[in-house]
Amino acid sequence: MATTVSTDVSNVPTKQEAPLPMRGRRIPEHYWGYFLLAPAVALVLALILYPVIYSGWLSFHFKHAYLPLETFVGWDNYRDLWSDTAWPFSAADGFWRSLYLGAIYGFGSTILQIILGLSAALMLNESFFGKALMRGVALFPYMVPTVVVAILMKWILNDAYGILPYITDNLGIGRILWFGSDWVMVTVILVSTWTFFPFVVIGTLARLQTIDPELYSAAKVDGAGILRRFWHITLPQLANVLFVVILLRTMFMFTKFDVIWLITGNGGIGFYTKTLPIHTYTKTFLELQVGAGAALSMMMFLMLVVITLIYFKVYKRDEHI
Amino acid sequence: MNARLKQIIGRISFYIGVAAFALFCGFPMIWMVLTSIKPDRDILTSTPVFWSWDVHLDHYRNLFDQTDFLIYFVNSITVAASATSLTIVIATLAAYGITRFRFIGREYIAAGMLFTYMFAPILIVVPFYILMKNYGLINTKLGLVLAYTTFSLPFSMWLLRSFFQSIPLDLEEAAMTDGASRPQAVIRVIVPLAFPGVIAVSIFTFIVAWNDYLFARVLVSDNLMKTLPIGMNDLYNATITDWGMMMAGGVVVTVPALVFFIMIQRYLISGWGAGAIKG
Repeated sequence: MATTVSTDVSNVPTKQEAPLPMRGRRIPEHYWGYFLLAPAVALVLALILYPVIYSGWLSFHFKHAYLPLETFVGWDNYRDLWSDTAWPFSAADGFWRSLYLGAIYGFGSTILQIILGLSAALMLNESFFGKALMRGVALFPYMVPTVVVAILMKWILNDAYGILPYITDNLGIGRILWFGSDWVMVTVILVSTWTFFPFVVIGTLARLQTIDPELYSAAKVDGAGILRRFWHITLPQLANVLFVVILLRTMFMFTKFDVIWLITGNGGIGFYTKTLPIHTYTKTFLELQVGAGAALSMMMFLMLVVITLIYFKVYKRDEHI
Repeated sequence: MNARLKQIIGRISFYIGVAAFALFCGFPMIWMVLTSIKPDRDILTSTPVFWSWDVHLDHYRNLFDQTDFLIYFVNSITVAASATSLTIVIATLAAYGITRFRFIGREYIAAGMLFTYMFAPILIVVPFYILMKNYGLINTKLGLVLAYTTFSLPFSMWLLRSFFQSIPLDLEEAAMTDGASRPQAVIRVIVPLAFPGVIAVSIFTFIVAWNDYLFARVLVSDNLMKTLPIGMNDLYNATITDWGMMMAGGVVVTVPALVFFIMIQRYLISGWGAGAIKG
């Protein structure tokens, strides 16, 4: 079966365009296209694109989550974002601070996922005893529901009864307060890495398998060691795929809500992991300021548009990402 | 001789790496299972007890007897199964339509598909909530099914589209020359060939629905309508955490998925390919 999903938008092979012979056909061909696509397009328009536009509209209003209050306020919600002065280490919270924490979380967890995921993919690309089993095991973390991951990690890292603090203590590293204000961001990043690195494995392994083995044997003959082979063959071959994986992972991590929320929640240590999605959720559903929340989601949407544009550019260049 | 020794050492360290990696991926799950079958006095110890001979299933019994876990479980299954079936049907029709017919705006729809694929739930949850409130779909399973179906559609269509593209049109034409109608040709010839894609799509959608916390949190407040993620989290937050029971809950939620996953994983790898990095 196909190991590489072709993602080409613009040049679909013309072979498939040929009209099919259809007995007793009354409806013209192209109507069938619309007809078959209608349910999908209708759902996406009504429940994804319309909400985004609605969100844009809301961001110019003051709106309460439950009370029927709705006043047009122009750019006020955005001005509030822009002028908020809360800084990372201050006691207040706000847009810039959430952006800063989001950057730490987003980049931190993406980098670790890439390192871990790529190493795992390289390992799984070798042949060894138990390889099929290990391929399944590598995808395990992805299969554990987020809520279970959060509760399980809270148990494993528990200050009083957790097994990991016990192990680190006995190894002489000492007990780390994983859910203390100093460490909680690290904890959230590490847990996210554990949960999401399988995506990187899936993404890169498919491409690794298509690298011509001849390239490696030739390099071996030339006396290139394992690091040189990785640097001069694997990495260049992988570059495009890796670029897209990094781009998309960064974006998904920037907009990640549930892992962080489920581990740290609102208030208390949640303050130290208040990234942009958490800030948005708190503003909307706890402070009940829907307009301000919508303005925050529009900021995320803006980032998404920028990343999408980059993605489309790269992706047109290489059909087989 | 020296080279041979070096090779053996290299091999051994490779396997040590493999074992470490397996432990890294698998240990949390093993610990979850072990905790769920230990008596409380072996759970709440400052020196963890790895294995307790006093194996019992009280935590599982408590989970089903003393909480509404079973209701959450049934809700989750219902919602996830409905969303998955709906997505398969709608996505297959759409992917077939977009690969086999030529019409105006087709490229834009394909590009739009990719664009919406990048959306994260947090971006639309605010207006989505207001929308569902206006239509009276708060606290209903239908609201959740709609959310998960719509949310999985772009990726599913995109994935199935590439499958349909890889299936030669000749096969379909041959079947029709043999007297099959077009729907027959599609169902008997094309869908079986795209089966890994259908499997991948159903797993993806099922996981989206089974995992989702955000939509469920926002759309559901009625206890009897809760799905597992919010039900479990509320159990966790409710009183003094009963770790044994929470781990039992984790096992019940995770293990069926894992077993199923191991059974179909060879389809997954081939079906997902390089595109599957959403989540």
